[in-house]
Amino acid sequence: MTDKQGLIGRVTRCSTRGFVGAIRLPEPEIPVFGGYCLAEAQQGGSQVIGLIYDISIQDDEFARQMAATETAPAEVLADGQANRQVPVEFSALAVGYRVGEAFHQHLPPQPPLTLAPIYRMTPEDVRAFTTSFDFLPLVLSTPQLPADHLLAAALQTASEARPAAERRPFLIDAGRACARLMAGDLPQLQNLLRSLTS
Amino acid sequence: MSLDLPNLAPQIQSAGAKIALEMAALGERLPQAVGALRASSGIDSETLQAKLARAGDRWPGAIPTTDDLAKSIAPPALQTPLHVFGADGSQIPPDRHAAAMYYLINIGSLHYIAGSGRAPSASSTPSLYSGNEELYLEDGGLIGSEIVSARRDIAEMAELARLANSCHGEPSLALLDNGLILWLALQVQGQQRKSADALLKEYLHGMDSIRRSGAALAGVIDRPRHANVLALLHLLDLPLDKIDTDRLQATPYLGLTDRGLFAQVLAEGHRSISFIYASPINRDFKAAGHEVAFFYYRPPGVKDPMRVEVPTWVADSPELMARVHSGLVEQGLTTAGFPYVLARAHELAVVSQAERQTVAGLFEESLLAHGLHPERSHKQTAKAWLTSRRRHSL
Repeated sequence: MTDKQGLIGRVTRCSTRGFVGAIRLPEPEIPVFGGYCLAEAQQGGSQVIGLIYDISIQDDEFARQMAATETAPAEVLADGQANRQVPVEFSALAVGYRVGEAFHQHLPPQPPLTLAPIYRMTPEDVRAFTTSFDFLPLVLSTPQLPADHLLAAALQTASEARPAAERRPFLIDAGRACARLMAGDLPQLQNLLRSLTS
Repeated sequence: MSLDLPNLAPQIQSAGAKIALEMAALGERLPQAVGALRASSGIDSETLQAKLARAGDRWPGAIPTTDDLAKSIAPPALQTPLHVFGADGSQIPPDRHAAAMYYLINIGSLHYIAGSGRAPSASSTPSLYSGNEELYLEDGGLIGSEIVSARRDIAEMAELARLANSCHGEPSLALLDNGLILWLALQVQGQQRKSADALLKEYLHGMDSIRRSGAALAGVIDRPRHANVLALLHLLDLPLDKIDTDRLQATPYLGLTDRGLFAQVLAEGHRSISFIYASPINRDFKAAGHEVAFFYYRPPGVKDPMRVEVPTWVADSPELMARVHSGLVEQGLTTAGFPYVLARAHELAVVSQAERQTVAGLFEESLLAHGLHPERSHKQTAKAWLTSRRRHSL
């Protein structure tokens, strides 16, 4: 189930291919690249599973002014990092959805709605979702995405959600699945495999 | 877009040229005012008092607290830790065309501890007013924007008092993004007079609370248009027996500002001497123990001074004045001289146009949920239609 304490944002815009969330969070809580998240859809009847592929923090004139000031007091810098309402925005690629306890590794029937809560997926859910690699084509077929880096980060995250003894076999299986799908792009495959084994 | 820009552009050009000519003429008169300021230093107290007496109760000038009018006072060293509080407010006024009658006041504040290295505490507190007793005056009339503005000013002062009392006895400085005078008391007449008096009392209560906490209090006015010191210079120029209302109004400094005057006199980081604000409304403040004084302060690296209003219990205390002056220098280091806590308090307080629409929408939803059928006025509905044009796309 979703960890209700693990709210990492709310949807600001979305489509069936993915969604963008935003939140104001202290630095340790900011979502990570390659992390798995869940956004409620269909009035709570389903949850879209997202793979976080981009995290951005916007600036404004005030932040630029502070950055350009050589003698900014420590209090001002701390205020800029801890208090100012500049939301962290993150983009997630839809790689599946969940209805009840069942995971589906294809595009969701409906996207989440604006302001739907987005939760970090628990390690148990990440483990359950990644028992199959059917979501990989959804990542590889998305244009303008750093697919090799994203898959490496996502598979490493899934590996770390498993007991130590299962991690290496999981990564070997994942590498094989990627090899089958990426045979036509050997440089990208090589890059991915290097990242998985490093 | 309905604004006829081709028609407007020549008017703007003409206005720009006219302003440039007027500025040049003012620039020529400024040295005369600076000369008068320097010449009036050392004026004897007896002559000054006699001229002030002839000027009368309604003379809108400045009363110097020392005789060295052109003095430029260097900032003292900042004593840390110093608690600095800033408060600012924003409001959504009542709108008779909206689906429901209400108004909203949002107060933003920042509690900053200079020298601590810690992140300040930020606060943004909205208050909604929708009850009949909050919306209507005793005569049945809807409260006006001036009353809502006064309630905002009171809420700002109350927030500063709350913060000041949270650090009771510790070195503290409370800053307001405005002058300290509550202008409502001069603006309203008739039936609203009673409401205004009650509001003034509430405002002064906030100042009392800050004074008791031991904090210094100052109101900062950026780019002020006041000419109270220039009025004083003109008064001092006039022979005692020639002082009357007509002559006082025929000032040679018309169009000049105290800000322009002190820009020529003050060194960077320095402040002027304090002056008492000679305004009829200041008598109410004096009676309550909060007579308002002011000085001009020129932040480092900035050409234009700002006007800083302080109660006389601050102006008369070297310790509190040192706290205000050194605190203003520290607060302006990263924000072009304007206090950092006030810049942030404004950011925390401001209610954007989009947020106003959100509040209106939420209010309509709330009424629907309670079985009511809110409707905007015909005018509001028509305006919404006319401003929601969309571009055609395939």
